[in-house]
Amino acid sequence: MENIIECKNLTHYYGDRRIYENLNFKIPKGRILGLLGKNGTGKTTTINILNGFLKPSGGKCLMFGEDSGNLSPETKQKVGLLIEGHVQYSFMNIIEIEKFYSAFYPKWKKEAYYGLMDLLKIDPKQKISTMSCGQRSQVALGLILAQDPELLILDDFSMGLDPGYRMLFVDYLNEYVRTENKTVFVTSHIIQDMERLIDDCLILDYGHIILQKPVDELLNTFRRYRFKCDSHEPLLSITDLLHPATIKGETEVYTFLEKNKLELLLKENNISIENLIEDKLSLEEAFIGLTGKY
Amino acid sequence: MWKAIIYKEWKKTKWFNIGIWMVAILLLTYIFMKIGRSFRFVGMEHLWDVVVNRDQFLFRNLKYFPIAAGIIFGLSQFVPEVIEKRIKLTLHLPLPKHRAILIMIAYGLILLTITFTIHILTTIVFVQLYFPKEIIISMIFTIVPWYISGLVAYSFIAMISLEPTWKRRIFNIILMVLTLDLFYISDFPGAYRFNIYLVILISIYVMPFVFLSVNRFKKGIQD
Repeated sequence: MENIIECKNLTHYYGDRRIYENLNFKIPKGRILGLLGKNGTGKTTTINILNGFLKPSGGKCLMFGEDSGNLSPETKQKVGLLIEGHVQYSFMNIIEIEKFYSAFYPKWKKEAYYGLMDLLKIDPKQKISTMSCGQRSQVALGLILAQDPELLILDDFSMGLDPGYRMLFVDYLNEYVRTENKTVFVTSHIIQDMERLIDDCLILDYGHIILQKPVDELLNTFRRYRFKCDSHEPLLSITDLLHPATIKGETEVYTFLEKNKLELLLKENNISIENLIEDKLSLEEAFIGLTGKY
Repeated sequence: MWKAIIYKEWKKTKWFNIGIWMVAILLLTYIFMKIGRSFRFVGMEHLWDVVVNRDQFLFRNLKYFPIAAGIIFGLSQFVPEVIEKRIKLTLHLPLPKHRAILIMIAYGLILLTITFTIHILTTIVFVQLYFPKEIIISMIFTIVPWYISGLVAYSFIAMISLEPTWKRRIFNIILMVLTLDLFYISDFPGAYRFNIYLVILISIYVMPFVFLSVNRFKKGIQD
């Protein structure tokens, strides 16, 4: 399958501070990949490198086969970019900004933009700077839909949005990208939104990738187990068990192991437990399970 | 596509441009009225004596208008690009490398040049009613460096605004002040008669400086 984005041995440092080293990932055509990570793990850094706003300390990123630091106008036409905070030219109004961008994109779909703007019920001559964060997010999304890009890069799209606008944003985007077979690279702080949108997740920890796999596969194989035991201390040394903790007398661990294999493993390590319960996880819980609460 | 960029620049700078034009008109009206008043009160002979024998310059009020216009126009155009790093939107437009910035700079320099040229020509038309060619030429050599300093200030403001780090920004401000100082060494009539080419050369030399800042921004250099 054709890869729309390909990052090879991507390494970046801010001064002496390492963000990550030798990061490798690909996004095949038609997939929606969510980049998940705690603050400071390098999500926006990656987006900046992809769009040529940051030269990596090492490695490279290719978009449509071109080096991301030197994209041709033809490739930029294929990339819709949503900047963190839904930043747009806020000195323009809805009509002016549509008129401005339409000059740059030959496949411009005016009706897609105004279709979304009709939902806002605001004066078309109102400046973007006087709109709420939610309204601005819809303007930014509408412009991307009208651009009709092959690849959408959305940096923290849920930032500053209330639940209603977040849902509107995800629903509209979801329908669009699935109908039109678009490729999406998205980051967000709010992982519930991502769960409804993404096919694959790439989870970043400080300095490295924890995993990249389809969300369905992750949620079907990654589990949380709760049980009673004397202490969770012996669990800390077992590599297959992630982030064991005891809360109010109940111990919990996260793992990819099935229930019977976990029981076997604990027996082999002479750890006796009672009342073993297996929990299915949401993406947010799986994220916490993989990265830890702190 | 260049028309769309011009449209965006106009949206940002429209009111500042109108403001600069209003100040330009008011300033010339004030100067012309002041000189006309001097004609009537002290007489033409005395005014001639002051200008020719005592090397007094009647248009000193024009001195800081172009530099102020260049700085204000530059700020109105580039500060909105820096707020929330909107310059990313501009750099993401599907245009060849540096094309968008080149059009933005050309827009500012052309608009300021038109404003300044009309201002200078209007002054010349007025002056030639009362003074001979020698005085007019002397006046041109005095005021043209001031107007060119407006263009230089504009180029520096573009560079300073788009610079991503404060340390380098402060260095650039110092560089701007020192460079602009060269345009105000003397307002003695005809002071720049023999080094006007140097002044023009400086203005051309500083124009591409903005691309240094853009390249540093694209490399992701931070404080």
